[in-house]
Amino acid sequence: MIRVFVGSALAAAFIVTLGLIGLAAGGSRSLNAYLTLAGILFTIGMFGFLARRNAISMLMSIELMLNAVNLSIIAFSSFSTTPEFRNNGSVIALMVIAVAAAEATVGLSIVLAIYRNRKTPLVDEYDAMSQ
Amino acid sequence: MAIGPTIPFTAIPWDDALFVLLAGTMLASGLAVVVMRDIIRCGLAMMVCFGALAGIYVMAGAPLIGAAQVLVYIGAISVLVLFAIMLTQTKSAPTRLAFQTQAGPAAVAAVVLLVVVLLAIGSTTWGGGPDRGDTNTAEVAKALFGPFVLPFEVVGVLLLAAVIGGVFLAKRDRSSSDRPE
Repeated sequence: MIRVFVGSALAAAFIVTLGLIGLAAGGSRSLNAYLTLAGILFTIGMFGFLARRNAISMLMSIELMLNAVNLSIIAFSSFSTTPEFRNNGSVIALMVIAVAAAEATVGLSIVLAIYRNRKTPLVDEYDAMSQ
Repeated sequence: MAIGPTIPFTAIPWDDALFVLLAGTMLASGLAVVVMRDIIRCGLAMMVCFGALAGIYVMAGAPLIGAAQVLVYIGAISVLVLFAIMLTQTKSAPTRLAFQTQAGPAAVAAVVLLVVVLLAIGSTTWGGGPDRGDTNTAEVAKALFGPFVLPFEVVGVLLLAAVIGGVFLAKRDRSSSDRPE
């Protein structure tokens, strides 16, 4: 019981500490904070894509990177002074979400197809396309 | 009872407190996606990350994108990813080796890229408004079905092609599955 409490407190402290990065970059009313968050999320996704062995983990990292780019699109359009640009930014972000959904569908079915041949989801064992 | 612009007894604005909470949740669960060993937990952390990101979209003044994020990412893509994880999990696949051998150089590259991005953000004057502006959802709809109607239709065709391609790729090949292994 005490371990659960200590673990929750540590997790909450960790979350607040990470969130203070956003506050240090200017808070919720500055463009730099959103761009900093997007940059950090993109590098997290890039590390995951380069370092993980599981193909599905790599696809999840790609989703993180796509979301980071989407966040920067939303931030730039939201801080624009032209009202039309705000709406156009939302349209572009919707397009990115739709294309990301298509990418996830095709990517995961490719992983399933390879898994059926090779019987492993680990990409460093994918050394041949045939059985 | 009206709620003031700041947290009672402190000078912290509510939106900054919410921003810290959402940003911290997003970054912590994003880190959990790439460093945890159990891939099912990675998928669940990804759902948390997308939910916090939807909150940040709302804070940035784009509530329609936040709703679309919840519907598409948490509702569809995460479920798809979890299905794929459960279909490809085997007992023989070792879970202790979650990382490639190049994980160290990858971490160095990621940190270098992060430093470059943060320096670029800090040293650039972006212009633009002093505060975030809200998007008008009715105007977004007019833009989507007015000047952007051709990309909208093309995205529809792309989604149809992705669905057909996904079914075709993931379909079990009858001749190879009948063959004894």
